[in-house]
Amino acid sequence: MLATPISTPAKGWGRIWSRRNRYYLIAFLFVLPALINFTVFRYLPILAALRASMYQYSLLGGFGDFVGLDQYHAILSDSFFRNSLWVTLKFTIYKVPLQVLFSLILALFLARENLGTAFVRSAVFTPVVTSVIVVSVLWSMMYHSQLGLINSLLSIVGVPPQAFLSNPDRALPALTAMMIWKDVGFSMIILMAGLKGIPVVYREAAVVDGAKPWEVLWHITLPLLRRVMMFVMVTQTIFSFQVFVPVYAMTRGGPLERTKAVVYYIYQYGFLFQDMGTASAMSIVTLIILLVVSVGQMRLFRSDVSY
Amino acid sequence: MKTWKVLAVLMLLCAAVLAACTVAPVPMPADDSMAMEDEGPSGPVTLKFLALADDDQLNAWREILAEFQQLNDGEYSYVELEFETIPFRELFPKIESSVAVGLPWDLFQADGPDMKHYGFNRVIWPLTDHFSDEEMAQWFPQSIEEGSFRDQFLGPPIMQSCSLLMYNKDFTDAAGISPPVGIENAWTMEEAVAAWQDTTVDENGDGVPEVWGLRWGQGTWTGDYEHGIFRRSNGEIGSATYAGMGEDGVTFQGYLDTDEAAEAMQFYQDLHQTYKVSPVEAIPEIFESRQAAFMVTPDNRIGALNRIHGEGNFNWGVSGIPYFKTPVCHTGSWHYGISPNTQHFEEALEFVRYASSDAGARIWYKHVRQLPANIGLFNELDEYSEDGNQRVWLDAMNSFGIPRIQTPGYTEYQQLFAEAAGNIVVGADPKEQLSAAARRLEGLVAKYTGWNN
Repeated sequence: MLATPISTPAKGWGRIWSRRNRYYLIAFLFVLPALINFTVFRYLPILAALRASMYQYSLLGGFGDFVGLDQYHAILSDSFFRNSLWVTLKFTIYKVPLQVLFSLILALFLARENLGTAFVRSAVFTPVVTSVIVVSVLWSMMYHSQLGLINSLLSIVGVPPQAFLSNPDRALPALTAMMIWKDVGFSMIILMAGLKGIPVVYREAAVVDGAKPWEVLWHITLPLLRRVMMFVMVTQTIFSFQVFVPVYAMTRGGPLERTKAVVYYIYQYGFLFQDMGTASAMSIVTLIILLVVSVGQMRLFRSDVSY
Repeated sequence: MKTWKVLAVLMLLCAAVLAACTVAPVPMPADDSMAMEDEGPSGPVTLKFLALADDDQLNAWREILAEFQQLNDGEYSYVELEFETIPFRELFPKIESSVAVGLPWDLFQADGPDMKHYGFNRVIWPLTDHFSDEEMAQWFPQSIEEGSFRDQFLGPPIMQSCSLLMYNKDFTDAAGISPPVGIENAWTMEEAVAAWQDTTVDENGDGVPEVWGLRWGQGTWTGDYEHGIFRRSNGEIGSATYAGMGEDGVTFQGYLDTDEAAEAMQFYQDLHQTYKVSPVEAIPEIFESRQAAFMVTPDNRIGALNRIHGEGNFNWGVSGIPYFKTPVCHTGSWHYGISPNTQHFEEALEFVRYASSDAGARIWYKHVRQLPANIGLFNELDEYSEDGNQRVWLDAMNSFGIPRIQTPGYTEYQQLFAEAAGNIVVGADPKEQLSAAARRLEGLVAKYTGWNN
């Protein structure tokens, strides 16, 4: 009986450098830059925030006493924090469905190629590439109750001056309308790409079978667009939860806390109230909520259809 | 086993990186030996200056620098300034975060009431040992008090301030109103509101006046400098309402939310909602653009009017500030701050010394035209002579000017009071707003307890 030889170094290296492992290594090297980026600029800050949330911590004073989960307990019993979560949720509920609906309608109409649609597509997409702070300042002026363009237009049809940003009931819808206008082009482009990716044979087959246009839309196009819709819904929900600049530039969270979104509240705590520990705890809670919502959305829009 | 080893290594790596991520607390400069690798005359030194976005101020500093470079046969001719300018409301967080992450700023423009916050958090270099008694005597005592923390002098003043009631004479003449002359004859709030109503003009009857009666305060914001005056004016000197805050510097219930304070803020709301003499949504430069008849403002408005309309082309007048029980104007203004991160302390200090001297303040006044903090200048500026047209601001500051509340928690206070005032303007209950603000505030500033012991 021959003893099983112990693998020689040459053979060991040979196994490590097998074709399969080389493929893995090359793939890993391609992924590495993105992985480093995510680790350094995403995951480590999250871990750092998690740590900060358990300490009394300020930017200037550094880490103080370890307080464990006390700050989580404090923010969950803070009615202003709960209000900011509610404002954020309302903003998301107002914005995401309306934006997806508008962008879907636009995508359906603008998916065909001609000069007119190219022009309208560019017009709809322009706000996406415009700075959100610039857009916020412009819309603040447009919304102004005495000087604003919108009230000038309303006055032409005899409507008296309306307060938008200083009216507690209208301020959040006003911000939402502006952000839908700004972001609708982004989701339109994604949905349009999704529409173009659907093989035309399915629709042609449905038409041959006598389906009406709305039946084609309802039974063919929308089901096949489900994965793209999920992407749009999830990303827009995440963006909506992170709303900050319009609040900062247009309302500062007012009037009556009606537009104080959670990220603005976190900013206040961290940078103006010098309490980065509490701000970190708020960030972690928001992150958890966002993860739960995103997973829920992904399950809801999961599609078994592939093409 | 192998998996556990990998996990253990990963956890160790994470722990190491997290430890490295920790932002170290800002060190308190103990003495001059701590820092300063000055380039010296051998090479240029550029002082990085974090300042407010304001062309007049920047022009003033540029001229001050040019003079500074000529001093003592060009002793500091190698010094240059490099500005980063930002809007008012971003300045405070910018200063703090810049110092925290160690950005190499040399100088920053510090708002007076925030100086104690900077001192408490060691965001500013103490300058007690660098200014002689003679130099300290250049400035108003109020400015020195505002620029100090725990007996440490933190930074010299750039200027002083006090707000009074300016008016557009064309509008008051058209309404047949003669505002009282001199601070001792100032209107009460009730008297003033009649004048503001008379000068509010809605010619076309569309519900939007072409000319509003009043803009109370600079800019378009609500804040303590301007609107804290309402509350404090409705208390007698020595009362809790007048004080605005407990002596410990961290108590606000019973001071910020007294019945008198709520009554005053109700009046502030009425100016917008009942009397309708001020727009609910503030209009930028409303007074300068001749859309308001009266404005409560420091005398820096004169410089702005001259710049916009040409010297002497805007027909303005000034009266004492309207009051409830006690005339009040908030004093204090900007100060120079030297960053603890500076690598050019000597140059920064010498620039600040010159800029805050009578010579530097004279240049500053030429551009900004606001009440100087340098006492000596009042003997040479015609505007502040006995019959000068800005003399009334000096008299008011000396008669009833009081500093804003002095606490390291001023930033927190300013945030919450501004929010409460903003809510009151749109119709919220003043008592509820002030009480809620006072309660929240005490929680937020509890960390400063004992700061003035």
